[in-house]
Amino acid sequence: MSHILDKSSAFRQGVVIFVYLAVLTVLEYFVAVTFNAVSILVVVAVIKAALVMYYYMHVYKLNEESGADAHSYSYKTDTNRLGLWLFLLSDSFVFAGLMTARVNLLGLTRPHLNQLLGLAVTAVLLISSFFMNRGETAMAHGDKKGFMTNTIITFLLGLGFLLGVVAVEWPLAAEEGLTASSSATGAIFYMMTGMHAFHVFTGLIFLVVVWNNARKNIYSAEQHWGVEAAAVYWHFVDLVWIFFYPALYLIGKVL
Amino acid sequence: MKKFFATAFARGLFWQFVGTLLGAGLITGIRAAMGLSVTDKFFFTEPAWVLGGFIGVLFFLGGNGSVSDWFKWARGIDTPEHHEEHYSGWEKYFHVSLDHKVIGIQYTVVALALISIGGLFALIFRTELAASKLQFLTEDLLLFGQNGLQLYNTLMSLHGMIMIVSILLGVAGIINYVVPLLLGAQDMAFPRLNAFSFWVAVPAAVLLLMSLVLGGFDTGWTGYPPLSARAPVGVQMFFLGVFTAGWSSILGALNVIATVIRMRSKGMTAWRMPIFVWAAVATSLIALTATQLIGLSFQLVMFQRLFGMGFFDPAKGGNPVLFQHLFWFYSHPAVYVFVLPGLGVISELLPVFARKPLFGYRWIAMSSLGIALVGFVVWAHHMFTSGMNSYLRLPFMYSTLLVAIPTGVKFFSWVATLWKGKIETPTPMLFVLGGIVVFLMGGLSGPPNATVSTDLHLHDTYFIVGHFHDTIFGGFVFPFFAALYYWFPKATGRRMNEFWGKVHFWMMTPSFFVLTLGMMRIGLLGMRRRIADYDPALGFDTTHLILTIAGYLIGLSVLIFFFNFFNSIKNGEKADGNVWNSRSPEWQVPSPMPMHNYDQPFEVVGEPYDYGLPGSKYVEFSAPAKNTHK
Repeated sequence: MSHILDKSSAFRQGVVIFVYLAVLTVLEYFVAVTFNAVSILVVVAVIKAALVMYYYMHVYKLNEESGADAHSYSYKTDTNRLGLWLFLLSDSFVFAGLMTARVNLLGLTRPHLNQLLGLAVTAVLLISSFFMNRGETAMAHGDKKGFMTNTIITFLLGLGFLLGVVAVEWPLAAEEGLTASSSATGAIFYMMTGMHAFHVFTGLIFLVVVWNNARKNIYSAEQHWGVEAAAVYWHFVDLVWIFFYPALYLIGKVL
Repeated sequence: MKKFFATAFARGLFWQFVGTLLGAGLITGIRAAMGLSVTDKFFFTEPAWVLGGFIGVLFFLGGNGSVSDWFKWARGIDTPEHHEEHYSGWEKYFHVSLDHKVIGIQYTVVALALISIGGLFALIFRTELAASKLQFLTEDLLLFGQNGLQLYNTLMSLHGMIMIVSILLGVAGIINYVVPLLLGAQDMAFPRLNAFSFWVAVPAAVLLLMSLVLGGFDTGWTGYPPLSARAPVGVQMFFLGVFTAGWSSILGALNVIATVIRMRSKGMTAWRMPIFVWAAVATSLIALTATQLIGLSFQLVMFQRLFGMGFFDPAKGGNPVLFQHLFWFYSHPAVYVFVLPGLGVISELLPVFARKPLFGYRWIAMSSLGIALVGFVVWAHHMFTSGMNSYLRLPFMYSTLLVAIPTGVKFFSWVATLWKGKIETPTPMLFVLGGIVVFLMGGLSGPPNATVSTDLHLHDTYFIVGHFHDTIFGGFVFPFFAALYYWFPKATGRRMNEFWGKVHFWMMTPSFFVLTLGMMRIGLLGMRRRIADYDPALGFDTTHLILTIAGYLIGLSVLIFFFNFFNSIKNGEKADGNVWNSRSPEWQVPSPMPMHNYDQPFEVVGEPYDYGLPGSKYVEFSAPAKNTHK
């Protein structure tokens, strides 16, 4: 099949996509601090999301057929993949609901936050997604050691993002008077970042689980659904942030 | 009795109790350390009750073993693909089982239990309404920290939500039992998730009932802020219960969609699926996605109460109308979650008893999806009087009226299916026909509420109550009973008593007509909904008395059903063959269904509903089935 690349070109593809995403993120930041055109920010976010969904989350795999033997590992993996994507579809409605609440309550304004800090945590999460992709690619080619190393890096970066939001950004915002109970703006800020941070936290748990199982030699190049699931979920968390980051840090005038 | 305490059900409840105490104790300890108040009107403080309720749910699931396989997987331990049943008889239904048939029955029985509780609540406040002035729910009454009027509000609100949860579980019960059988699958796509979806609903029901004793709540089932932001602590248990029940609904729906896409038998193309499967998919698409929004809206109010987050508090720049948008984005499509499977049951059973092909199969299949999709863009018709931007009224009025088109397609097809059929009327068919007529009444009383000019008058009156009960009885209750009478022999190998079935039907149906038509009458004359008392000068006393009597007669008919149901499990007439002379695959094998469904796989070779066409076949088993009734 055309989608299965050899290991080095798969790695190369991951790098190229990461460069695209990084450039778009910088562009987004530049647009926001110079002429703040909301439409451009929306378009950039959609392009980033499409790149992540196609090249990192491999959404096209939903279309693949792997034989009719209902008891084979690959058939069950296809079913599991469908289940996971249905769950992500459902979960995205929570985030869409929060986004709706943000648009309703804040409109074209945004909370007073440190935009550079926002860019920093976003970069950390984006880089973690890159290493997750490397880890999954390594496992898909039977490279257990490469998977373990890349997953540890992903975990540390993910933890860095989580602490960056919860232990750095939240206290800083609170110091500036933006607390959960101060205003509806504060409420929606803490709710959006908090709900996302909760998902990052669960993603970290999944990373630990698959790392530990890989240590026990459970996965192979052909059979590693657990790794794929953890990776897709991790990229999904990144995908949500692709929309939440501009919604909280970039769009509109500061309140 | 000892066996009962060893069941997963009893263990789960025990651990939920422990978890609730632990969670509440934890918060109480922290509060004590911080020098905050540690006790309140209902012993624990509100944050303690909320965390306690949440931890209780986790403990229930951990304690009864419904998640143990997942923990094994997380530690890299494989579990056998096929789960073997360790228990038999009644015990099987109180333990964690991965068999979709057992889970379907578990769902159904819990749904029936909740329907009884919800109905009992309705009868209590219906009795109070039988005459003007307060009779027994007076201000002097003090129960669970509430006076009679507050208790009225709590019972009225809980009647709504308990019934909604029971409907969701009833829908899940029928779908769980029937869909894999119709598809020729051995089980659902994710059996463990299926068990989890059921078991998470049990602590959810406990939480909902806990709200009654924790001060109740007076918001109605809709829980609008700012009222719900000020209601007693019971409203938090209500929010938590709905949130938890939502997970049951979401994960169950996920399972159904994956099962239908991945596990159909050979030859079953989309246009050869049984029509009920189409309805199950349409329903699941709504439940999978929209349910998140009621969970979110209730979660936001919970956080507003706990942390002072001002989402819906105008004093902090919040917007109460935002809650209504989030809430109705689920809660309107939710009624299609309730009725689509019921309408699917009607379409599924009608050709069997009319002995004719289903008229316009593809149109019915598409109309289910059409209702589901249009259902996503109609929610604000609940808010015509809420103070939302008035330019939103017109588009939502037209989108709502649009729902009548796919629904009309269904009615057209049902009538055309019946036309010149050789109609038989055993009990399931009676309930199907009753369902059609009642749902027609619900459908016809809908457009006046969808039209802005008339809705401004009808909003919050008993007209809405009558309309709503018509749609839900016609779209869920009647077809649900039809499905129970119809598939009862498949599950037990015995059939329910026809005489008592007919008594049930002929007692329930006329009483129900009296009830809802009476509600609509006084509604048009200005009777407000959700109130405990009304002015005698309005002249509604006689009508209310008749309504109360009708309500009791419905309750009595359901009692008769229960008697028939439980009695027939042991003493019913033996029926292990093709009782209804159906073409559907599940009736081509003997009842009750064996553990892993079909011994031989079948292949679909024809159209599903070609009744009366000589020589036509729907399914063919690869080896001759043991029991083929011609």
